[in-house]
Amino acid sequence: MQSIIHFSRVSRLLATFLVGLLHSVHTVAAQQGRPAWERVEAIQTLLNGAVPRPEAVRLDLPSVTQDGSSVLVTAEIDSPMTPDNHVEELYLFALGNPSPELAEIRFTPLAGRASVSTRIRLDRSQTVVALARTSGGDWLSGSRDVRVTVSGCLSRDATYQADDVMQTRVRVPPRFKAGQASDIRTLINHPMETGLRKDAAGQPIPEQIIELFQARLDDAPVLTVRLHRAIAANPYLVFHMAPEQSGELTLSWEEDTGETTVTTAEIRVD
Amino acid sequence: MIKDAMNRRQSLKLMGAAGLGTMLSASGLPVFAGGASAGRVVIVGGGFGGATAAKYLKRLSPSLDVTLVEPQPRYITCPFTNLYLGGIRTFETLWHDFTELREKYGVRVVHELAEDVDVDRRRLKLAGGEDVSWDRLLLSPGIDLRWGALEGYDEAAAEKAPHAWKPGEQSRLLRRQLEAMEDGGTFILVAPDNPFRCPPGPYERVSMVANYFKNHKPHSKILILDAKDGFSKQGLFMEGWREHYGDMIEWVGRSNDGGVMRVDADTLEVETEFGTVHKAAVLNVVPPQKAGFIADRAGVIDASGWAPIHARSFESQLVEGIYVIGDATQAAPMPKSGFVASTQAKVTARAIIADLGGDTPPEPSWVNTCYSLIAPEWGISIAGVYEVHDGLIREVPGSGGVSPMEADRSFRRKEAEYARAWYAAITQDVWGTRFAF
Ligand SMILES: Cc1cc2nc3c(=O)[nH]c(=O)nc-3n(C[C@H](O)[C@H](O)[C@H](O)COP(=O)(O)OP(=O)(O)OC[C@H]3O[C@@H](n4cnc5c(N)ncnc54)[C@H](O)[C@@H]3O)c2cc1C
Repeated sequence: MQSIIHFSRVSRLLATFLVGLLHSVHTVAAQQGRPAWERVEAIQTLLNGAVPRPEAVRLDLPSVTQDGSSVLVTAEIDSPMTPDNHVEELYLFALGNPSPELAEIRFTPLAGRASVSTRIRLDRSQTVVALARTSGGDWLSGSRDVRVTVSGCLSRDATYQADDVMQTRVRVPPRFKAGQASDIRTLINHPMETGLRKDAAGQPIPEQIIELFQARLDDAPVLTVRLHRAIAANPYLVFHMAPEQSGELTLSWEEDTGETTVTTAEIRVD
Repeated sequence: MIKDAMNRRQSLKLMGAAGLGTMLSASGLPVFAGGASAGRVVIVGGGFGGATAAKYLKRLSPSLDVTLVEPQPRYITCPFTNLYLGGIRTFETLWHDFTELREKYGVRVVHELAEDVDVDRRRLKLAGGEDVSWDRLLLSPGIDLRWGALEGYDEAAAEKAPHAWKPGEQSRLLRRQLEAMEDGGTFILVAPDNPFRCPPGPYERVSMVANYFKNHKPHSKILILDAKDGFSKQGLFMEGWREHYGDMIEWVGRSNDGGVMRVDADTLEVETEFGTVHKAAVLNVVPPQKAGFIADRAGVIDASGWAPIHARSFESQLVEGIYVIGDATQAAPMPKSGFVASTQAKVTARAIIADLGGDTPPEPSWVNTCYSLIAPEWGISIAGVYEVHDGLIREVPGSGGVSPMEADRSFRRKEAEYARAWYAAITQDVWGTRFAF
């Protein structure tokens, strides 16, 4: 079993190699008829020789977006999500961002459906890539090109109201049907300060982000997400859960300072 | 940098105010007669895009056979319907007709709905049964609403909770509801996610409603529930709202649970993403949108619901010989505005004439200014110039700009004047309407 720690080591590697390499491998990759990003060394490290099955992760993203500061993305894999056959890990990358990692998601069979939605930051037009690993060790991939424009009638001022940082919201269905997946939405108010901005006096504003999200039903983990700085302000997640019996859902959001907000919701199963 | 942008902006404004002559040079169109082989061009839609195209096709190439298909005997503009809703303009001043196009430019105007497109035989089917043949088809059908995309919001619901995003009876209904509302009620506007027709439109609308409330129903409230976390000219709008309306207007963005998921038009209640229920006295729902249905019949839209086009000509990427302009297109970063639809029409008129003559379309350039009124004498604007770069449309670097923050009253009053002059100039250019000033 790989751990979250392992996720972030891979991501660091990826950050170091990806940007420089992407360009130079482009021609070679094109010649071999495989997407350029597959040959990027850090992704190869992650894949460790495995060849991912292309277009097996459905990535839903607008092909043109007028506001790169918050772009809704959904990644979904068809999977029975049984104990012996489920998606374990999902990695999301934005190859054209200053650091390409977006998020790493760990599913359990309790999630019922290998699907997650969130909002991301896209610095410019680029390719978004998803890689997933199943419990059987198979690798799956998906990618989408996104064009980021700034519309003439759209706002350019990024406004963030920091009144109620760390306040969360959650919405669960009033009732679940035993063993059937239904969606859960949650959000936390947080600026997701990237560390790339300067304040009015020209001083860099230090990075301060929500870095870990965990969902548990009583003691059983449902989903764990490692978030990076390119997750949009006010991190937002939609995921699924297929409970067999009623219980208490616990959602925890952890900031990189260690501060954590925990919310609970009652889950009723018919 | 900022100063430079403002200077350019001011020159754009002058174009807006000066009208016909400069509107022409704004899109780089020389006026010449003939020069192209005659052909049959059929246009669907007599709005900003279609009516402009009809006029400029005939001006550039009088021997062309141009047919304009538009069901309405007169066109009602969306621009300035917000002023009508706010009670500072009469409905009749939004009406324009097709007399000039017919009589002065020799356009054949057919007042019917285009029902279907036979791409192979190059024929447009009209609701009355007639078939019209084309050599080139130009679609400028504007938008359709995505009924049902918002749970509970369909055509029947719009009779109780109007959208007023396509003008006509819907605008009158909303105005009647505002007039009938008791002082102290809450007006709720549900604003959609991008892309949609007229990005600053919802925010101008609440400004005009606030102006009406301030004078007639001062205890009323306005709530905007937004599917986005930011909007066009946000800083300027919020500054103006505070200045004129105190805390009458409250804006709730997506991350503060502004995303509406369900509408109940009978109780005038809406439910947000995280389960908050808001009740309105008057409910205005601006739902998600897509290209007008005829674009779908012609096969020119993709999964996004909008028409992908070749940047230089606005010929469809999906069907040869069919051009699409205006709100129906994917032309980002150009916004879906009437000004944009009209400049696209001028550029595309040239591209169609070049195409019919076997030439390549000339290098295009487009311009846009979106004015918004926050109060009758308080205007703001955003402007941009667009070009093709590496096969894609982009804003010419450094060309655009927005009104400055914290400008004084006289600056804002001038922009309100420019807005009115812009309306007079563009409607004169497109439909030949002459307003008494
Ligand atoms: C409240 C509001 C305020 C706005 N304010 C501004 C503003 O200040 N400035 C600005 O520039 N823009 C503004 N706009 C945007 C502007 O109205 C649109 O961008 C513009 O109308 C787009 O032009 P178009 O030609 O694409 O479509 P339209 O102007 O909608 O024209 C489409 C025409 O096609 C006809 N049609 C559709 N289908 C068929 C068919 N099958 N057969 C025949 N005819 C058909 C319709 O009847 C219609 O007349 C505003 C919009 C709104 C809603």
